[in-house]
Amino acid sequence: MASRRRMLLKVIILGDSGVGKTSLMNQYVNRKFSNQYKATIGADFLTKEVQYEDRLFTLQIWDTAGQERFQSLGVAFYRGADCCVLVYDVNVMKSFENLNHWREEFLIQASPSDPENFPFVVLGNKVDVDGGNSRVVSEKKAKAWCASKGNIPYFETSAKEGFNVEAAFECITKNALKNEPEEELYMPETIDVGGGGRQQRSTGCEC
Amino acid sequence: MMLDGTEDEEKFLAAGIAGLQQNSFYMHRALDSNNLRDALKYSAQMLSELRTSKLSPHKYYELYMRAFDQLRKLEMFFEEETRRGCSIIDLYELVQHAGNILPRLYLLCTVGSVYIKSKEAPAKDVLKDLVEMCRGIQNPVRGLFLRSYLSQVSKDKLPDIGSEYEGDADTVSDAVEFVLQNFTEMNKLWVRMQHQGPSREKEKREKERSELRDLVGKNLHVLSQIEGVDLDMYKDVVLPRVLEQVVNCKDELAQFYLMDCIIQVFPDEYHLQTLDVLLGAYPQLQPSVDIKTVLSQLMERLSNYAASSAEVLPEFLQVEAFSKLSNAIGKPDMATAGVVTLYSSLLTFTLHVHPDRLDYADQVLGACVKNLSGKGKIEDKKATKQIVALLSAPLEKYNDIMTALKLSNYPHVMEFLDIPTNKVMATVIIQSIMKNATRISTSDKVEALFELIKGLIKDSDATPNDELDEDDFKEEQNSVARLIQMLYNEDPEEMFKIIETVRKHILTGGPKRLPFTVPPLMFSSLKLVRQLQGQGQEENPFGDDSATSPKKIFQLLNQTIETLSGVLAPELALQLCLQCAEAANDCELEPVAYEFFTQAYILYEEEISDSRAQVTAIHLIIGTLQRMHVFGVENRDTLTHKATGYSAKLLKKPDQCRAVYACSHLFWVDDHDNMKDGERVLLCLKRALRIANAAQQMANAARGSTGSVMLFIEILNKYLYFFEKGNPQVTVAAIQGLIELIMNEMQSDTATPDPSADAFLATTMRYIQFQKQKGGTVGEKYEPIKV
Ligand SMILES: Nc1nc2c(ncn2[C@@H]2O[C@H](COP(=O)(O)OP(=O)(O)O)[C@@H](O)[C@H]2O)c(=O)[nH]1
Ligand SMILES: [Mg+2]
Repeated sequence: MASRRRMLLKVIILGDSGVGKTSLMNQYVNRKFSNQYKATIGADFLTKEVQYEDRLFTLQIWDTAGQERFQSLGVAFYRGADCCVLVYDVNVMKSFENLNHWREEFLIQASPSDPENFPFVVLGNKVDVDGGNSRVVSEKKAKAWCASKGNIPYFETSAKEGFNVEAAFECITKNALKNEPEEELYMPETIDVGGGGRQQRSTGCEC
Repeated sequence: MMLDGTEDEEKFLAAGIAGLQQNSFYMHRALDSNNLRDALKYSAQMLSELRTSKLSPHKYYELYMRAFDQLRKLEMFFEEETRRGCSIIDLYELVQHAGNILPRLYLLCTVGSVYIKSKEAPAKDVLKDLVEMCRGIQNPVRGLFLRSYLSQVSKDKLPDIGSEYEGDADTVSDAVEFVLQNFTEMNKLWVRMQHQGPSREKEKREKERSELRDLVGKNLHVLSQIEGVDLDMYKDVVLPRVLEQVVNCKDELAQFYLMDCIIQVFPDEYHLQTLDVLLGAYPQLQPSVDIKTVLSQLMERLSNYAASSAEVLPEFLQVEAFSKLSNAIGKPDMATAGVVTLYSSLLTFTLHVHPDRLDYADQVLGACVKNLSGKGKIEDKKATKQIVALLSAPLEKYNDIMTALKLSNYPHVMEFLDIPTNKVMATVIIQSIMKNATRISTSDKVEALFELIKGLIKDSDATPNDELDEDDFKEEQNSVARLIQMLYNEDPEEMFKIIETVRKHILTGGPKRLPFTVPPLMFSSLKLVRQLQGQGQEENPFGDDSATSPKKIFQLLNQTIETLSGVLAPELALQLCLQCAEAANDCELEPVAYEFFTQAYILYEEEISDSRAQVTAIHLIIGTLQRMHVFGVENRDTLTHKATGYSAKLLKKPDQCRAVYACSHLFWVDDHDNMKDGERVLLCLKRALRIANAAQQMANAARGSTGSVMLFIEILNKYLYFFEKGNPQVTVAAIQGLIELIMNEMQSDTATPDPSADAFLATTMRYIQFQKQKGGTVGEKYEPIKV
């Protein structure tokens, strides 16, 4: 049973809207990139089969809206994540400043059992823009932040040019694997679900 | 059973989760032992938990996500099964035996996903079957989640072009058709939800509907991701079909949200090419729909697009985006804030797309003025905020107020602001000028600018200004002051005109503002004076007295200062007079300098009555007078005579004493041999001593008050100064006498100890000692003084 569970790794991508979350995922999964901006609504995932140290895994990569008005149902999908990827745009200061917010929001909502050691990976995206001339967040600054949060691995990427995307996701996979599975263990005899209670609850429904 | 209180809901959720976990435990056991039948049985039981009606969408989503995670494992198992030789078609049949329809459909979608992957049937057929089957669930919440499950598991298996599931010639249509159908059904479920249940729960229901919105909107996102949806497909099929659904559902919430979704999920190029259709839909929406927000979101998006690269601009021009948008916003009849929001978005848009067409920008402002006309000053906070945004847009775009000044409607829009906001806007304008160091270099522009910021320059007739916060006022006026100092033209004629223009405006500012605004005007003027002087400008040989000359500037300044003394700022006026006098001195204009001094004296005599202010003023006068070299003997005598006179008449003895000994410097100017009158220096010092003496006696009489000995020490220092400077009237004997006097004073029984006097005396004595030891001429000079 444990082995089946380990075949699936759940990754959540968070960050402000427009930083390139969807593009990174598309580049990694489909090797495609589009300059067009299409906002994401709600949350959904793409899967990708990956091989790591001779074993096969399915990465389930969740892309999110990053805008509250397109996240109306909340973030129940954070549950059971094995790794959380925080993305910012190296050309937009605010998106970097918000990393903290995204990280904290994740830790609160997903409430992993060992928040100190929960694996995050930070991506500074769009390094290609204007030949790097318009960047406002230096690598040093980003790395300093990552170091201060328990040595989060950091990658500079370009979803547009596919730069470092593969390497970043390899690291994401590796870190997701390190995360201890957190399935609430179910023991049939420990939970008393009396037949009466069950019956009562299923009356409301005709379908 | 009524559900109220989140507590109950938590309980139901917990029970649901427990049931789900129990069944998934058995499901996993079945999976591990490859027991398909048990796997189906327990997964169906697990999915039965989703049949609940007792959870709000949020909580239901939590439960759904857990089931969803389990279904992924089941899906993998199905794949393994097919690899082990189980027919996917059989599986597809098999799951349909599940007892309840909801679990059955979840299982069917899950197997369906594997079915498509197996490619044993065309994707389009399986999808069509699934989307039809889902009609079986008509409960909105359950139906929406089920269909979003279908959407989720199918989205990477659509028969899109380039996809591995690509089908025949119409493959993209098939993909689109499937998503559109799912979208349409979901929207219907969503809209219908409002009519279910008692009307007293309407509010709660609307909240729940709102939570569910992303499930519906998600379909549009899926559509936008289909590779095969090119512009033609979008224009001909996708947009018309989506809009049809949006318009016909006649539901405010759905219309507002879905219009926003359309704008956000589809690319800008598509919007540009379908502007007519998109804008044509707005008037067909329910009257209660907040069209202005949706429209301004569209314009915001398009202006970001325009700003992203100059290469996209031809697209905008080609479709005449500007006129289409400005037409569209001319129509809706709505609240002021809405009107302004729209114009502000349109202006931002225009500035990005047509940076060179100021006439367009002016048109937008003009249309806004027209729309607002008759409404008087706008009071609505939201609306005024938007007007500020509207007026700030050109400043931000051009970083240059000069451009805004060219917009004829700009000041008209500003007229609509209430007084406080008008000031805010004026401050924004000034800040923009400061930040960009904008050069405003002609009097015409200055005129226009001051017209624009007049809210800061003078009181409006309408408001009593006592409600004004003192600090705000100061900050405001300081920024005006900084602005005045920035106005500059190197051509003296134009600069003079600028000064005259500024003067005209600030003189309307009233007593509270003048003290802030006159000084910077003065500095600018004196700068011009120095410039003219630097150019060695001669009097115009043709006697053309319209030419700018220092004299003319001084004349203007003289009049300006008079207005200050008229508004009860005599101290400032005096200070400025003295500065002018000094400037005139540098220009060698004796009569002018004399005139300013006289004016300063009149102010001193007639307007400055506070004793502290008098002390400050007299020291200013003495200091300035000392630096004047332009005066002839007669004028100088008159002025110094008066200054010493004032000094001796100050209210307090110590003040008198200090002013009088300061006057000694008036008679001993270092580099001017004809201004060294040792006799009169000594007279001043002696007079100071007499006053100190008198002060001493008064102090003794009052017992205990100290301080006069300090005066003696100060005077001693003056003696030493002139002694060293070689004033023959200041003798060793006089110094010696003074030292003794001081020593006696300090040792007398009546003296109260004064540590600062002790320290000062000690320093003075050390100084004498030091000079004695220096040797040379200085040492020789000091030699006879005994300490
Ligand atoms: N130049 C460049 N543009 C990018 C890159 N990644 C994304 N973009 C663009 O940025 C915009 C937003 O990207 P998207 O992936 O939708 O951002 P999301 O909102 O975080 O999902 C799109 O127009 C992309 O084409 C990148 O690495 N380089
Ligand atoms: Mg996205």
